[in-house]
Amino acid sequence: MSHVESNDPADQTLLYCEKPEWQDVTPIPQYDGVNPIAPIFYTPEYKDATEYFRAVVEKDEISERVLQLTLDIIQMNPAHYSAWQYRYRTIIALKRPLEAELTLMDVLAIQFLKTYQVWHHRRLVLTALYESSTSDSASSPSSNAAGAAAAAKELAFITRALETDTKNYHTWSYRQWLLAFFDDEALWEGELPYVERLLEADVRNNSAWHHRFFVVFGRVRAKGEVDLEEVLKRELSYTKDQIAFAPNNPSAWNYLRGILERNKKPYSDLQTFVEPYTVPASSSTDEGIVDLDNPRPGPGAQLPCVAALEFLADIHEKAGGEQTKQAIEIWKSLANEHDTMRKKYWEFRVKEASA
Amino acid sequence: MSSSSGKPSSTELNIPLHVKYIQTLGQNKDDLMYHMTSHLRMNAIYWGLMALCIMNRKDALDRDETIEFVLSCWDDEAGAFGAHPGHDAHILSTLSAIQVLTIHDAVDKIDVSRVVKFILSLQQPSGVFAGDSFGEIDTRFSYIAVQALSLLGHLDKLDVEKTVAYVLKCRNFDGGFGAVIGAESHSGQVFVCVALLAILDKLDEIDQDTLAWWLAERQLPNGGLNGRPQKLEDVCYSFWVLSAISILDKLTWIDADKLAGFILSAQDLENGGIADRPGDQPDVFHTIFGVAGLSLLGHPGLEDVDPVYCLPASLTEKLGLRKAWRALPRRTVS
Repeated sequence: MSHVESNDPADQTLLYCEKPEWQDVTPIPQYDGVNPIAPIFYTPEYKDATEYFRAVVEKDEISERVLQLTLDIIQMNPAHYSAWQYRYRTIIALKRPLEAELTLMDVLAIQFLKTYQVWHHRRLVLTALYESSTSDSASSPSSNAAGAAAAAKELAFITRALETDTKNYHTWSYRQWLLAFFDDEALWEGELPYVERLLEADVRNNSAWHHRFFVVFGRVRAKGEVDLEEVLKRELSYTKDQIAFAPNNPSAWNYLRGILERNKKPYSDLQTFVEPYTVPASSSTDEGIVDLDNPRPGPGAQLPCVAALEFLADIHEKAGGEQTKQAIEIWKSLANEHDTMRKKYWEFRVKEASA
Repeated sequence: MSSSSGKPSSTELNIPLHVKYIQTLGQNKDDLMYHMTSHLRMNAIYWGLMALCIMNRKDALDRDETIEFVLSCWDDEAGAFGAHPGHDAHILSTLSAIQVLTIHDAVDKIDVSRVVKFILSLQQPSGVFAGDSFGEIDTRFSYIAVQALSLLGHLDKLDVEKTVAYVLKCRNFDGGFGAVIGAESHSGQVFVCVALLAILDKLDEIDQDTLAWWLAERQLPNGGLNGRPQKLEDVCYSFWVLSAISILDKLTWIDADKLAGFILSAQDLENGGIADRPGDQPDVFHTIFGVAGLSLLGHPGLEDVDPVYCLPASLTEKLGLRKAWRALPRRTVS
């Protein structure tokens, strides 16, 4: 390769207007006679590079040097979507090695984690990489060996990126896209253990709970491929354990409701489990009995737990009849004692049930 | 409205100071981040102008200069607006341009049919909209497309069924909505999806009570609202959560006094503006959403804001676009 792009600031000491290899280009300034209400005060380096970029776009130049130019601009302003777009177009037109592009972008992705463009660029490059190696026989992304290898490498990269910010929205979205797009068993099978590692580190990570649902229930499978009853049993058991470990964790309770709804199971199946979480800690009498199906709140847990009270009230409301009164009692206790900030909501529930 | 001592306290909104802050925004040459945000300049103009409208000081930014700036951002190749003169067109800046021109009754200055064409060209086969030709997709862009078409009076050209179908596929097990299919629920995304469904009269497609409850759960003990469970509170969610929940007519489920206290405590009482949370640097983004949140909570001395469009309610009323949302009644004293 004759031309190697550089991330090294030492190579960027010259402005583009000072570089001999750019003397054939006339830069186009930002304000072409316009005097806007909101002028922007750029650094000299950014102003210089974007003026040359405008000139490049104007004459539709596709060349090696455009790659360094767009990289420089992106490093100064990763949200410059036109520079990203032009870079991608150039890479494809010049048939640049796509794996190398991903590697080059690794540092940028971690550095600018919250910028959507870095992830979208990776998606485009990875898709192109897959498509370029699929022209012969493969019919789906998963049956394409080169694509699958690139996807596995990319998944490992995403895992590294999430170590920097375990709740980054774009990074998670990209992970979910990758799994669904390649739909490769080898990629999917590592996901559940991965989620469990994350939840072990932080059981309140809502992104990880969300991803768990995506992994367990989001994948489109042929009928009979998995035993749904077994899956439900495993998920209930896992979630109950996590609630026992940290009872006041809305993400785990949301997940519990989510899997019951998804599998059309009544909340009342969990009444025995939920009840110990709805009373003050001291009133438990049967500490000695260990029921593995219904793990009890750990020592020191803050009880009663609002989410458990809400859950139990839902069970009572569903049962109706005499039990409606019990539901109303719980809602009143939430309104007046345990969750006073949402008093109006609990009063709404009382009113709805009494109507 | 102001206290007799004359000294501003964080229990009231210092309107004159925030107006001054917005007026001087373009002059902050020392701000190192300023050049980084050029891709949001058009949005910033809208945020500033809208904040002024809510504080009843629309006149504080010069109308002609504002319109001139908006028109200077026209990307003639794409037939829509960039964020800044010479920038490529983007759906984000295009909506902001339309909103600013609508506020100033100047939409007749643009080639509406070309803008409509640009917006419709961004719809993907799945029904979701992209933001630009680079291809980022997001339910946010679907909402922007729907609002823009509505303001321009061309909703009849939209494939409503396809648009709504994609949004409904973004609904998660917890009742919330994400940015794309499979993505985590997020308050900002809930707002755009709910407002989109409101504009298209499709709110009956969702379980409104469950969703409103998810939104009410976003309030934290300090009164502030967050975007997802276990994340920090942030003033911008004062608008996104409140607007969504007022469209669902359940605004009373939020503890209004506590939230107003949180927003007011994030004011910069030295230089003006509102920050994401108390003690941080203010910016125009958090200023508009803080002020809009206070307006929905019935804070005295503010104009009504339409939570569906984030435009003055008097304007959407006049345009015949008002939907069935409900904010808290305007109070007359603090």
